[in-house]
Amino acid sequence: MNKAKAKVVKAKSKKVFNVVITYCILSIVAFIFFFPCLWLILASFSKSGSIYSFDGFFPTEYGFDAFKALFTDTVMYNYKRWFFNTLFIAVMSCILGTLLTILTAYCMSRFRFKSRKAMMKATLLLGMFPSFMGTIAVYLIMTQFNLINQHWGLILIYSAQAPMGYMVQKGFFDTIPYSIDEAARIDGASNFTVFVKFILPLSKPMLVYTALTSFTWPWSDFILPKMLLIDKDLYTVAVGLMSLGETEFARFAAGSIFIAIPIILLYFCLVKYMINGMAAGAVKE
Amino acid sequence: MANLSLKHIYKVYPNGAKAVNDFNMQIEDKEFIVFVGPSGCGKSTTLRMIAGLEPITAGELKIGDVVVNGMEPKDRDIAMVFQNYALYPHMSIFENIAFGLRMRKIPDIKRDKEGNPVLDKEGKEIPVMRKYNKQELAEKVNEAAEILGITEYLKRKPKEMSGGQRQRVALGRAIVRQPKVMLLDEPLSNLDAKLRTQMRSEIVKLHKKLQTTFIYVTHDQVEAMTMGTRIVVMKDGFVKQIDTPKNLYKYPANKFVAGFIGTPQMNFFEATLKKTGDKVHIEFKNCDAKITVPYSLLMKTTPQYLDGKKPVYLGFRAEDITLERDKTASCQAKIKVRISHSEELGTETLVYGDVNMNGDGYTDTGTQVIIKAGGFKEIEPDTVVEAGLDIGAIHLFDAETEESILPRIPEYNYLDCKVKSGKLTFSGTEVQLPPAIRCPDGKGEMLIPVSAIRWNGGIKAKVTDCENINGRILVTLDINGGRLYALSDEVKKGDVLIGIDYKKATLDISDERVSPMPEVNGLDGIFTKDKGEGKGELVYSLEINGVKIPTPEDVYLKMFSATSGRKVYNCRFRYEWTPYDFTVSESGIEAEALETLDYGEEKFIKCAVGEEVIYVRADGEYSGKIHIIPDAGKVSVIELERNIRIV
Repeated sequence: MNKAKAKVVKAKSKKVFNVVITYCILSIVAFIFFFPCLWLILASFSKSGSIYSFDGFFPTEYGFDAFKALFTDTVMYNYKRWFFNTLFIAVMSCILGTLLTILTAYCMSRFRFKSRKAMMKATLLLGMFPSFMGTIAVYLIMTQFNLINQHWGLILIYSAQAPMGYMVQKGFFDTIPYSIDEAARIDGASNFTVFVKFILPLSKPMLVYTALTSFTWPWSDFILPKMLLIDKDLYTVAVGLMSLGETEFARFAAGSIFIAIPIILLYFCLVKYMINGMAAGAVKE
Repeated sequence: MANLSLKHIYKVYPNGAKAVNDFNMQIEDKEFIVFVGPSGCGKSTTLRMIAGLEPITAGELKIGDVVVNGMEPKDRDIAMVFQNYALYPHMSIFENIAFGLRMRKIPDIKRDKEGNPVLDKEGKEIPVMRKYNKQELAEKVNEAAEILGITEYLKRKPKEMSGGQRQRVALGRAIVRQPKVMLLDEPLSNLDAKLRTQMRSEIVKLHKKLQTTFIYVTHDQVEAMTMGTRIVVMKDGFVKQIDTPKNLYKYPANKFVAGFIGTPQMNFFEATLKKTGDKVHIEFKNCDAKITVPYSLLMKTTPQYLDGKKPVYLGFRAEDITLERDKTASCQAKIKVRISHSEELGTETLVYGDVNMNGDGYTDTGTQVIIKAGGFKEIEPDTVVEAGLDIGAIHLFDAETEESILPRIPEYNYLDCKVKSGKLTFSGTEVQLPPAIRCPDGKGEMLIPVSAIRWNGGIKAKVTDCENINGRILVTLDINGGRLYALSDEVKKGDVLIGIDYKKATLDISDERVSPMPEVNGLDGIFTKDKGEGKGELVYSLEINGVKIPTPEDVYLKMFSATSGRKVYNCRFRYEWTPYDFTVSESGIEAEALETLDYGEEKFIKCAVGEEVIYVRADGEYSGKIHIIPDAGKVSVIELERNIRIV
């Protein structure tokens, strides 16, 4: 009897121990991840602004000055302008990029044409190279087209590069039974009708996922806008923040925090579609 | 509400795999056709080609009177039901059914806002195409839903319905458009057994109600037998037999059909046949069973099989073998069977055994036998019993080709004959041979195709029997005691006069053979393109030995579509014509006239074109070099590389 009881107690304590260990590891990992973020948030509320005036690691005084300066002190650094520039580029690239990606994926999934396999392999291979490898080439092309120092130049690049990552979407379309297309075609639908009336409504999660990914990249990209945009007024937030003076660290932090807000909101609104979408494309049923 | 015609339909995939081989069929209006066969036999591919979901490699497909080869599915006026239902998951049932109607336009006249007709200057109504309005849509959808009993589910989504209901929706989507042809691709295989039986009879009922042509694909021979008015049995891309369920069961044309149709499978035994007098002894291989049947049962069999050496398959259905003592006693043929085990199915018992006393009866060895016995039968395993065979239900197949050697319409008549100075004697009748047939005097055998017996001529015969076989009438004739089969379009009676088309006959006299004239002549060639006389005009020709024969449009278009574009100029073709499609002329393909064959009423020239020997219909006598021109419009073209008939 006692033996049995001891056994139960032993099993229970082992379970508790396991849980404690797990939580400890999780907390440490969470701390490592969250600490820089926390530090940035604290820094953005620093009153003095400069990183040199910090008391050790943390700011000495806290206040909203940096945030206020972002939107009021716009002579040198027009944050408001940068923010709307970024928003414009991101939204436009998101719309165009999503459209192109979805269409590419649909074509690759549904049509059989010459060199389809070759194209799929080529995109896969090209996708392995980091995108900034082609920056010089992109710059030269953009000068040819007179698109330097213009937002549309950036939008075109972002939208054109988005379909390179069509694989996930194609995988999702592949899971939509082909017989639905066939039934619709027999019912009198054209390929376009099939796409608009059947494929799109059935792939809402995928659409959301695609839109989000093609929004976040231009939203947070630095290299391309830094290279292509010359006028300070045309800067995106990332480039603009980089141009801040050394003593403006609090403003830099505040700008970074502020730009993260829309994306965080977007994620929270669309998270349930996101998870659906990512899982749906991952495995072929 | 339309008939279909499939002529030489092929499906060849780019990798060379042939999914469908030379599919020929005429489907009448309101028929219920079932395509049946094991997986991968090409039945679904054929259906999808009819639907327009799969391009046709070669051949001609007509729905009604229109060639639909290149037509989009939506323009073919067909509807299809898929195995996995293929409902539109995000739409309600109503929308699912209505979608096909929404996509279509109907003819109407122009109306103003109040619905009054608008007239043109001459006071006539203006025809326009318009979409269905809400009320019409609802009416049509409700009508279809009512037929299928799904009215109460119209607002639901497909995922809220059971499999059977979903399949009903799929059927509803198909019938609402009132298509010319309904295509059903294994619609019941996703349902459970009970629902399947129920839906089976509902589909048959639907067919009766709609009065439209149904084509149904299944791999289940029970479905095929119970539903079809005619069944197409397919295997490996070939059509094995097309016939009514009853005829498939009673007269399978080959071993595959015999084994595929009917459960349990037909029993096959390897055997040899030997004719002695008016009896035929059948000797089983791998065991010492022997039976004897009267020759009258096997009269249509080719004589070569009756020599006691040529291996054949003997087939008996499980229900044509009996174990009951009083029935066995009345059977003319009995064999000993060692019982191994039995399966009780309620209404009947399947008894497994082996005609080979050392066989185990469990594996399909060629000596295993399955017998259908009624009710619950106590059968001792490992006992040897006597089983009675119903010899009236015997089936015989060639061991190599697996074709039936007991066909309903025999191919040839075999006659013993004698030739003396150009005169042929058979069955006590003497006839003059035409000059074209030159053979030495002596005794021998004559092979006359059943189709070569004509209903005019000088040979007296008596009609002993007439049998209607799928619209063709097989007439059994008696010539002084000798038997002859002939085909006719009408029922014959009493004494008739017949003739023999000697160009189709084979004579074996004194070890010398006179072969029949081939029905088609083949010439190898290529396809070429040249500039025509007009500006930008192109002339497409068949080129044989450097001679170009311009082709009419329908021929070259078929060649283009079958070889997909430019490749056609690199292909080698075999062009075929009957002897009647040639004319002898001043120019054309060079040929060497070898001899003139005079068949009495008709004359043919046997001539050599290169290494090929061809026959040309002609009126006069020719010798030496001649030129012949074939009729390009009557050509039939075979692509040599893939061996498919394109035209």
